[in-house]
Amino acid sequence: MKRVLSVARYEYRRNVFKKSFLLTLLSIPLMVALGLGVGLLLVSLENNDRSVGYLDQAGIFENPIPPPLSKGEEPVDFIPFQTEEEAMASLEAEEIQAYYLLPADYFETQRIEIVYTEKPGENANRQWWDFLQINLLSDQPTEIAYRSASGADVTVRSLDGKRSIADSGPAFGNLMPLFINMAFMGLILMSSGFLMGAVAEEKENRTMEIVVTSISPLQLIGGKLLGILAIALTLLVSWSLIVLLGIFAARTMGIGWFQDLGMDWGVILATGAIAAPAYVLVSALMIAIGTMVTTTQEGQSFSSLFIILHLIPLYIAFAFIEKPDSSLAIALSILPFTSLMSTAMRNLFFSVPNWQIALSVGVQTVCAIGAIWLASRAFRLGMLRYGQRLRWRSLFQNQGAGERGRNP
Amino acid sequence: MHPIEVSQIAKSFGSIQAVVDVSFEVKKGEMFGLLGPNGAGKTTAIRVILDIFQPDQGKVAIFGGPMSDEKKDRIGYMPEERGLYQDIPLERCLLYLASLKGVPDQRARENLEGHLERFYLAEHRNKKVKELSKGMQQKAQIINTLLHQPELIIIDEPFTALDPLNLQLVKDVLGELRDQGVTIIMSTHQMQQVEELCDRILLIDEGKNVLYGDLNKIRQRFSGHAVLVQAGGKLPELASIKEITPHNGDLKLSLEENTTPQEVLKELAASSINLEKFEIAVPTLNEIFIQVVEEGDTK
Repeated sequence: MKRVLSVARYEYRRNVFKKSFLLTLLSIPLMVALGLGVGLLLVSLENNDRSVGYLDQAGIFENPIPPPLSKGEEPVDFIPFQTEEEAMASLEAEEIQAYYLLPADYFETQRIEIVYTEKPGENANRQWWDFLQINLLSDQPTEIAYRSASGADVTVRSLDGKRSIADSGPAFGNLMPLFINMAFMGLILMSSGFLMGAVAEEKENRTMEIVVTSISPLQLIGGKLLGILAIALTLLVSWSLIVLLGIFAARTMGIGWFQDLGMDWGVILATGAIAAPAYVLVSALMIAIGTMVTTTQEGQSFSSLFIILHLIPLYIAFAFIEKPDSSLAIALSILPFTSLMSTAMRNLFFSVPNWQIALSVGVQTVCAIGAIWLASRAFRLGMLRYGQRLRWRSLFQNQGAGERGRNP
Repeated sequence: MHPIEVSQIAKSFGSIQAVVDVSFEVKKGEMFGLLGPNGAGKTTAIRVILDIFQPDQGKVAIFGGPMSDEKKDRIGYMPEERGLYQDIPLERCLLYLASLKGVPDQRARENLEGHLERFYLAEHRNKKVKELSKGMQQKAQIINTLLHQPELIIIDEPFTALDPLNLQLVKDVLGELRDQGVTIIMSTHQMQQVEELCDRILLIDEGKNVLYGDLNKIRQRFSGHAVLVQAGGKLPELASIKEITPHNGDLKLSLEENTTPQEVLKELAASSINLEKFEIAVPTLNEIFIQVVEEGDTK
């Protein structure tokens, strides 16, 4: 075990203490931050917090009630004007961004005029209509008025009552399994280079022959896999810390979606339990492929194949939404490659039974062990074949005498 | 029990028979030469010995039995395909490879210090391996082979890329190790070094044993009925001498069948020439190698 750890430590240090790793580490959070930043910038450009004026000739705002606000939303001040000249002067002085004119015959015509020099902000417009709506209901009790102004609030619940999605959309915690999936795919893409490199390095440096006279191929592959898992864990922990920091910042800034995260730790744990052996499975297969192909580039095309297999459940998402406990959904939740995404998607609408999760973890684990065996066998067969391709068929031939083949 | 006992091993790769029938033993504390032309099956035989390949038939016993993880730690191997991690500093590379041999870090560092000094690589320890010259990389390979203080060393072409100074250094180191009781198998095409260092040899050709045994006895076996002579003045015409030919600055006297070298020596001593050198003509290993391999090719 000590030597396996020695290989793992070497593999970890070889990859982590490099500038390129720092770039890899920061690339995903930077991309997400950039995306969020651009989104927030666009939203802020659409919003305008300057006051809005109004002329109430219909007598709706005698005792104005402020509009209901979303969580974290900044209120826009609504300023009453007695004459249109005063309102126009204020608009020209850029004290207000627009003013609304409610004519005396509003109740007959239901027409309102808006006067502006530049199109008013989305937030101002939205708050104005809420402001109008709640004041039209001013003869009702305040609670009813506010409730009516808030509109429909539909919460979708699963039949067993364990899953629910509010009208405002799924909570952060609801989407957590999907985020884990995204991280999983990110890890596969990121680590494919490390995985291919782990084997390619031994071949390119011609160190195979020295190493395998010190430790067994299984120990070497196990150590490399462990090292790359540690790298993946480093990436995951770092990304998680960055996400936590982001959530903390978002909560501090009062962004509504992050106020109530709605985390379901059971689901997160189950997703993680499937993700771990699934990652080992893909990693071991990638090492096997790295040993069998002749170039690193050729091997990396296989990582795309694994991503496509992993994404199959997304292509048939309708089937999961329509019937999350169908035979197809259960089968895909248990089979290798599709299990993680299937379980995550079903968990959005349905409480996946524990036996299915346990079976899925079991199947992934058995497949991962098989893949490690396959990788070590491919390694033993292909280790001295510099510049030669190894065929899949030969992996399963001549059990126990794995070295037969063409002379390297 | 010898450190290595190889009995009738054969190994093929598809239709190619790399090793047909090879048997030999290597005794403890000897330096053994494993020789043969390119493609003779030397590397395959070594890989079979080291359990990298399993033989199709035959047996290999290392330290009295099959290869094990514990036995791997007692063997130092420098393969034909030179290999060190190119992108990391020399010291880190060697310490890592030593750790795979189960050497504790502290001991590996202590051993490495001595070897780096001995091989004039101490000041290059922090350089990446790829930044070292070929000769330095060759010495680093040798250090890697010796760092874990093996009892058995299998070393393929140890003198490649070495200047005369470093060549002598490596020869000295190998000689010292042999004197300490370390068993060494050396595969090389440098016959002069084999003659100088090895006690016994095995010559393989086309995957089979061709010559095997004590080096001096083999040379005697191949010595022709001739003597080498250096003399001042013209040699007299003697009935016992069939032919006189120049040979590396000497004269090679081929003798008649019923004549002995002692009789020729007496006749020459009795003549008026000034005899400076007289020795039985024993072929060099290089000559034996060429003769044996060429005979094999013509069969």
